[in-house]
Amino acid sequence: MGMRVAWLRRRVAQVRARPGEFGIVAAALLVVSGAIVAVAQGPGVAQPIAFNHRKHTQDLQLDCELCHSYVRTGAHPGLPSLETCAMCHQATQGTTREAARVTELVAQGRPLTFEKLFRLPPHVFYTHRRHVGIGRLECRNCHGNIALTTRPPARPLVKIRMGFCLDCHRRSGQTRDCIACHR
Amino acid sequence: MPRWGMVIDLDRCTGCAACEVACKSENNIATVAPEQAALGRTISWMRVMAEVEGEFPNNTLRFAPRPCMHCDNPPCVKVCPVEATYISPEGIVGQIYPRCIGCRYCANACPYTVKYFNWYAPTWPESERAHLNPDVSVRPKGVIEKCTFCHHRLQKAREEARAEGRELRESDYQPACAEACPTRAIVFGDLDNPRHRVSELRHDPRAMRLMEDLGTEPKVYYLTPRT
Repeated sequence: MGMRVAWLRRRVAQVRARPGEFGIVAAALLVVSGAIVAVAQGPGVAQPIAFNHRKHTQDLQLDCELCHSYVRTGAHPGLPSLETCAMCHQATQGTTREAARVTELVAQGRPLTFEKLFRLPPHVFYTHRRHVGIGRLECRNCHGNIALTTRPPARPLVKIRMGFCLDCHRRSGQTRDCIACHR
Repeated sequence: MPRWGMVIDLDRCTGCAACEVACKSENNIATVAPEQAALGRTISWMRVMAEVEGEFPNNTLRFAPRPCMHCDNPPCVKVCPVEATYISPEGIVGQIYPRCIGCRYCANACPYTVKYFNWYAPTWPESERAHLNPDVSVRPKGVIEKCTFCHHRLQKAREEARAEGRELRESDYQPACAEACPTRAIVFGDLDNPRHRVSELRHDPRAMRLMEDLGTEPKVYYLTPRT
């Protein structure tokens, strides 16, 4: 042990004597820690189409429910299928490359599978019906400004943890019974 | 606030075990291999207890279905070191599986032996997998599980009632065992609501509770047989 401490002291003295080496060590540490963070976070969620939420919800004033059909009645809000896109994209809409691709997919009848972005752990029993249909919560209460994004985000805009749920339940006087969400 | 409870008429119970089967399929309860069952590791939130009375040929079989008693003063809750088991404001004794550390204190504290430990990760044949109830979790290895009075049904019923803008009716929320009982021996409802049948039945002269002397205040009542 004593030997190691002595080695470390010598090493620190060497690095101090040569500031250039210190910079290299710091840069290497930065790269390694960045790589660890990136690996820990995972690759994120990739979507088949670079869907522009802002275009659809703000410029075209479409309702969230148009594509997320079960948001008021079901546990899951649902993601749009190709048929939903085809309601408008049968003919070319707009000038973007992505819009042209959607029309192409519709013409070919190839399925389009969007990936879920917000995921809850399997022991959490949440229903959109209770929160949106009955409780009349706005989408942005939990999903942040997803409606204003121009590209699909790789990671959820809001980190939904139990504290996040409980904060709201406390403020609005809703149940804080464990079995209301966990069973 | 309601106080959910159950009255089981032992005169009506034929021991058919429909309640047991209904419970197992409703709550994703895994089956256990014969050698493990021999070690007493069967999980059965609802179990029909059978008792032989008298000597052959003058004997009779008596049955008593036994779910969790959902005690008002539950001994299991007192011993849990991590608050994984607790009593909800409506009197349902809940078990929060991700919190449970599997110490099994509660299973030992329960005088009715209705808390079950998962000795293995549950397995089902591939053909059965699609039958699992999505409203109930599949418990992992190493946690205690127990009857919840099919609490998920209460939540669904409440959602339904709220969406339709009406009060919750007695028939809206019935656990799987009560619903499956062909002789209607199991009656379920709010013990404090005079419009629910259980509130009347529990004052029947035949009504009794198991091990009442322990002071656990169970919310499952039995109507003793007349004969």
